[in-house]
Amino acid sequence: MFGLALRSLRHRAGGFLATFVSMVFGAAMVMAFASLLDTAMGDGVPSTSRTSLVTMATVVGGWGLIMVVFSVTSTLTLVVRQRGDEMALLKQVGATPMQIGRMIVVETAVVALAAGLAAILPAALAGRGLLSLLVSSKRVDGGIHFAFGPYALGIGLGVTFTAAITAAVIAVRGTVRTRAAESLRNAATGDARMSRKRKAAAVFFLVLGASLAVTTATAMRGKGSDAMQTAGQTSIWVSIGLALAGPVLIGRVTAALARPLERMGGVPAYLTVQYVRRRAGRLAGTLMPIILFTGIATGTLYMQSIENAATAASGAVATADEKTIETLNFTVIGMLVVFSAIMLINTLVAAMTYRQSESARQRLVGVTPGQVLRTVIVEGVILTLLGVVSGAVAGLFTIVPYSIARTGHALPDIGAGTYLAVVAAAAVLTLGTGVGAALRTIRVPAVEAVTR
Amino acid sequence: MNGQVTLPTSGSEALRLVSVRKVYGTDGTQVTALDGVSLSLRKGTFTAVMGPSGSGKSTLLQCAAGLDRPTGGKVFVDGAEMSGGSETELTKFRRRRIGFIFQQFNLLPTLDVLQNATLPLRLAGRKADRRYARDVLTRMGLGDRLRHLPAELSGGQQQRVAIARALVTNPSVIFADEPTGALDTRSAREVLGLLMRAVHEHGQTVVMVTHDPVAASYADSVVFLADGRLAGELDRPTAEAVAERMTHLGDRTARRDETEV
Ligand SMILES: Nc1ncnc2c1ncn2[C@@H]1O[C@H](COP(=O)(O)OP(=O)(O)OP(=O)(O)O)[C@@H](O)[C@H]1O
Ligand SMILES: [Mg+2]
Repeated sequence: MFGLALRSLRHRAGGFLATFVSMVFGAAMVMAFASLLDTAMGDGVPSTSRTSLVTMATVVGGWGLIMVVFSVTSTLTLVVRQRGDEMALLKQVGATPMQIGRMIVVETAVVALAAGLAAILPAALAGRGLLSLLVSSKRVDGGIHFAFGPYALGIGLGVTFTAAITAAVIAVRGTVRTRAAESLRNAATGDARMSRKRKAAAVFFLVLGASLAVTTATAMRGKGSDAMQTAGQTSIWVSIGLALAGPVLIGRVTAALARPLERMGGVPAYLTVQYVRRRAGRLAGTLMPIILFTGIATGTLYMQSIENAATAASGAVATADEKTIETLNFTVIGMLVVFSAIMLINTLVAAMTYRQSESARQRLVGVTPGQVLRTVIVEGVILTLLGVVSGAVAGLFTIVPYSIARTGHALPDIGAGTYLAVVAAAAVLTLGTGVGAALRTIRVPAVEAVTR
Repeated sequence: MNGQVTLPTSGSEALRLVSVRKVYGTDGTQVTALDGVSLSLRKGTFTAVMGPSGSGKSTLLQCAAGLDRPTGGKVFVDGAEMSGGSETELTKFRRRRIGFIFQQFNLLPTLDVLQNATLPLRLAGRKADRRYARDVLTRMGLGDRLRHLPAELSGGQQQRVAIARALVTNPSVIFADEPTGALDTRSAREVLGLLMRAVHEHGQTVVMVTHDPVAASYADSVVFLADGRLAGELDRPTAEAVAERMTHLGDRTARRDETEV
């Protein structure tokens, strides 16, 4: 099995690149924050500095951890799902589901190990950067020596490995067990129906977000920037909730938009609408990073603007503490932006690879390359619109309560510029990747793409 | 060459190939798949193309149908020369004049039966013929399956949808590359019967690649291909006669292979 896994790895280097990149990034992130723990445990570190370091490592690092698990899981699920045909073939020649499962898990373990090792150097650099950030914002005393040791390596490698293996096991279980029957049923029903577990999770995160929003607007009122503690995470939970509800969102919205879209966009729009409706479940994977990106970035950026405006209005000068919080907020956003971008590109490229044979078939029936491209653009536009609108809703769950808590007004007196910038970034990422992948698809002669 | 293959250009000509060549690959590993094939087919005929594996049958069909570009030579469909232009131009040329049926059906998995069959009409911007598509599908025994997806149909049913899709635009020529290759005997006979009726009852022109002498016997004539060249023709073929010719072709190729080694 090990040999087979290695050989399969070598042949699918491209497919694993996506997983590898997201793992390296995730591992580096976790290691960098964990190295602050190593630093904090050094000799002669004053106790206040130690507390700051540990807080930074656990709070911000904790969010990083969630994102790592999220992105690694989603990329792996995609990669494994994409290989459904290969697995079916292996089964036909007599491989048991157990053997196939072991092969995928071993492959994943090899990739995770490589990614963990590759992450060490960038992590050490990033950790050093974090420390100097904390020193320059006077959160920790200067003269503390940066350390990169057992915490960084243990937590970093451990988390990457555990997340990867768990994700692989889950993905394999789903794919190996239900493949034939499921793919047929999905194709037939449009795969917009969500499993009960997924529905429950979506509702849970939305309710959690809503209750935190209420808490921020009531209990945290007048508590100053402390309200960030509840407000900041609200948009994250709501984004996750909406992202989980993706298949339903896609199904409903596309059904509603079908007629006007087809009237305006002709055959390419018609083909997209049919495709999107019948592949809602799969496309929800692409929608997820767009919602997360827009929701969290909008929420956090506006929260920070509200905070800055409120501080300025009260005539006070921002304290070192507040400056640090701002830095932390921007660090979180920076991490997020990169993560969502990687996730988005991964899912889009995977989706396009999957679509390759479908596009080729379209061309054989008489769809021109230009029309294939327009099909992809319409799909990108639908997903972007859905993503940025859902993201705006998620962002409002942070913005409105925080504004109420901080200023008493529901809506802050801040322009839409930030949101528009976030939307533009999301649109460029989505359409850019989609069109790029489609252009590559078109370059292959249709007859070859279909028979390959 | 005899008979219809050398007929002069006329208004009753559906397809004409003039010295069509196709070379795959670049310098080092060149394969000449078609080596100067000239051929003319009248409207309303059913022609089978046969030959050993690798003789260039699929290449011939793809070049004639505009799915691939010949390296040299000319292709005329219904009197119009196939443009050597961009894929877009070629696609538009194909839309109006050509239908293609594949061994692996190549239906779009996210469109249902009716949507698949009417897609060529949509692409050509012809809404009015929708009822005709429904008629064709009903005639093929798919009247109660219009809203089903390809994944919910048997291979034979999928191939019937593909045939309906090729028929709805009333193309000048319908090409079929081993249309019965993935089907059991009964479904294969049904498909062949449908193609034959398209020719004899509706005046369509069909060119079909097949390995099966029985399938070839449904055609009006058989064209043989060996090593990228035409290697004879058989009118009003019977399965036995076709099988015998194929054996000889196989022998010839095998002998040549031995002497080459
Ligand atoms: N894309 C390609 N690149 C390189 N060579 C090719 C390509 N397609 C076909 N060939 C070669 O061209 C020759 C003719 O191939 P073709 O597919 O037309 O044969 P065929 O008669 O259809 O065979 P079969 O009966 O097995 O389908 C073969 O030698 C084949 O290897
Ligand atoms: Mg062939």
